[in-house]
Amino acid sequence: MDVLQLGSYTFSSRLILGTGKFSNATIMLQAVRASGAQLVTVALRRFNREQAEDDLFGPLSAIEGITLMPNTSGASTAAEAIRAAHIARELSGSPFIKVEIHPNPQHLMPDPIETYEASRILAKEGFLVMPYITADPVLAKRLEEVGCVSVMPLGSAIGSGQGVATAAMIDIIIRESGIPVIVDAGLRSPSEAAHAMEMGCGAVLVNSAVAAAGNPPEMAEAFAEAVAAGRKAFKAGLMQKSGSAIATSPLTAFLGANG
Amino acid sequence: MRPLPDWLTDNRDTASLAAMLAPDSSSSLEALAAESKAITLRRFGRTMTLYAPLYLSNYCSSGCAYCGFASDRKTPRHRLEPDDIRRELAAMKKLGISDILLLTGERTAAADFNYLQRSVEIAAQEMQRVSVEAFPMSVNEYHELAGCGCTGITIYQETYNRERYEALHRWGPKKDFIDRLETPARALEGGIKSVGLGVLLGLSDPVEDALNLYRHLRHLGRTYWRAGMSVSFPRMRPQTGGYEPPFPVDDRLLARMIFAFRIALPDTELVLSTRESAAYRDGMTGLGITRMSIESRTTVGGYDDPENKEKGQFEIFDDRTAKEFCLALRKKNIEPVFKNWEPAYNGPSDGNASTVHPEKAEPCH
Amino acid sequence: MSQMITIGLNGQQQLLPTGSAVSDLLSIIGSDGKSVAVVVNEQIIRPEKRPAHLLQEGDQVELLIFAGGG
Repeated sequence: MDVLQLGSYTFSSRLILGTGKFSNATIMLQAVRASGAQLVTVALRRFNREQAEDDLFGPLSAIEGITLMPNTSGASTAAEAIRAAHIARELSGSPFIKVEIHPNPQHLMPDPIETYEASRILAKEGFLVMPYITADPVLAKRLEEVGCVSVMPLGSAIGSGQGVATAAMIDIIIRESGIPVIVDAGLRSPSEAAHAMEMGCGAVLVNSAVAAAGNPPEMAEAFAEAVAAGRKAFKAGLMQKSGSAIATSPLTAFLGANG
Repeated sequence: MRPLPDWLTDNRDTASLAAMLAPDSSSSLEALAAESKAITLRRFGRTMTLYAPLYLSNYCSSGCAYCGFASDRKTPRHRLEPDDIRRELAAMKKLGISDILLLTGERTAAADFNYLQRSVEIAAQEMQRVSVEAFPMSVNEYHELAGCGCTGITIYQETYNRERYEALHRWGPKKDFIDRLETPARALEGGIKSVGLGVLLGLSDPVEDALNLYRHLRHLGRTYWRAGMSVSFPRMRPQTGGYEPPFPVDDRLLARMIFAFRIALPDTELVLSTRESAAYRDGMTGLGITRMSIESRTTVGGYDDPENKEKGQFEIFDDRTAKEFCLALRKKNIEPVFKNWEPAYNGPSDGNASTVHPEKAEPCH
Repeated sequence: MSQMITIGLNGQQQLLPTGSAVSDLLSIIGSDGKSVAVVVNEQIIRPEKRPAHLLQEGDQVELLIFAGGG
């Protein structure tokens, strides 16, 4: 059975869905169901008695086979992320934590130094840490060394819909990684998700591409199919690209005839 | 019997290499050469790093069926003493050599760890870069060797076919297939900065061996991601012991392997020694190989005493001088590189240490 | 009329009868407490401790829930 292994947990779905930016909770829940996602991200927010329907814990927990992965969004330092992780674990009962630390609210690029520090400490405390990072192969290995169960390099900036702009770097990360590599952020279309999976990613995380689609539940389903197809293609082994370069004078003449 | 490690049966990304190496491969040799050449040029430029081997000792405790220095051969045994080493190094420096590979046989009382350590220390005073191809060591021994200025360890598995391996290594410590397999990892664990791997082509099915060699490199690359890695393609030549290779590899298959490895591992150093002829090495220049030996002697010493008529470990097929060799490289618009390392970076690689030590690593004794 | 205390609740002032426990605060604001994390002065108060944990004048209380996020 081909499963996504994260720490001691296994998942048959390789699509992780974010729950932000949906027009309302009903559509979000429909999208979650349609996606078949088994790992779903949520964020911590202050309780607001005027908007009690914001609370997603109950409705998400009611969906069969869902594990929550709280994120630390809003944190701009390691200390804040660690505090958020503790509160989130209290609430979710889930050992998963997506470490997401972005000091700059404009582009939301992750801070590698704070992310490393928070991940190191949280992994030591027993969390299953999934750090959101820039597509940096060295950082990815350093995070693997401190016990993260996955690394989540960005395909492109959050919400940018620019696809896997970092493909060359993600290729290196996949080649060197001993833990699943999950492309997070930047995807716009299911074909981009399929591409990431064909490259050998363990999973993809999408949010905006579904939340901002014309019909979010249908788009969630389309992503699920694309992720499954990409994975199948990776497992099957893509055919070789043909070497198109033809030398003007044969490079291998010195070898003589077939021996 | 200890089981094979999981990585040796890991087929995750071997498909494309297997396709390039298959006897009925659809990729023509010329097309592979063109792609390999383009990658090599992009990644390494128009350069060739040069090194020379120095055999410190031919004492050996192993019974490798194919080796001229195996312990049952009648070959006279000796080792270089510190003063001999200094003389040899001086002679090598006159030839322009500053990157050397020190060799010994399996561990013996005459050539043990202390002897090797002392030799590395002497060599590191004279040369820019010192690598070692000797017996397998412990993590601690590798760490000490790194502290004395050894930056690279060459250790060939010879063959990844366990049955063949155990039959060929008739006695001695080298008989342990798994221990040999784990040696490069121990070297890297000990802080050695780069490892050189290879199979002795001719001993077993070359395509099977090449794929396993690739698996080994990929496994090490994932685990020791800071490590430098190189691959050599030593092809069996008539040995002093008169061993006939049962799986001879012809020129075209060797070329196919080199091109395929370059395409599969664009960043890895690929090495071709003077076991190959001048014509073959010249033909390969620029197509994938990035490191070559020059002025090789496979006798113990031999640089200081050119009249030495003793038989070496194997025969040299490219016996051009450094000068002649560099001329051939330049004709192909390739720059010979004699110095590609700075001894200031010597010392064990210390992983994650993010603190800066102003003092150099502990002195060598 | 019993004595009142003032606490900080999610950054705003809130009046509470003296002697209120965390669980009292939750019922005052209409939460069943099941899906709310309670942090008093940076310390997490687990559900089983909430009835016994009395709030003091000036306590800073954060009530957090899970909302949508990616």
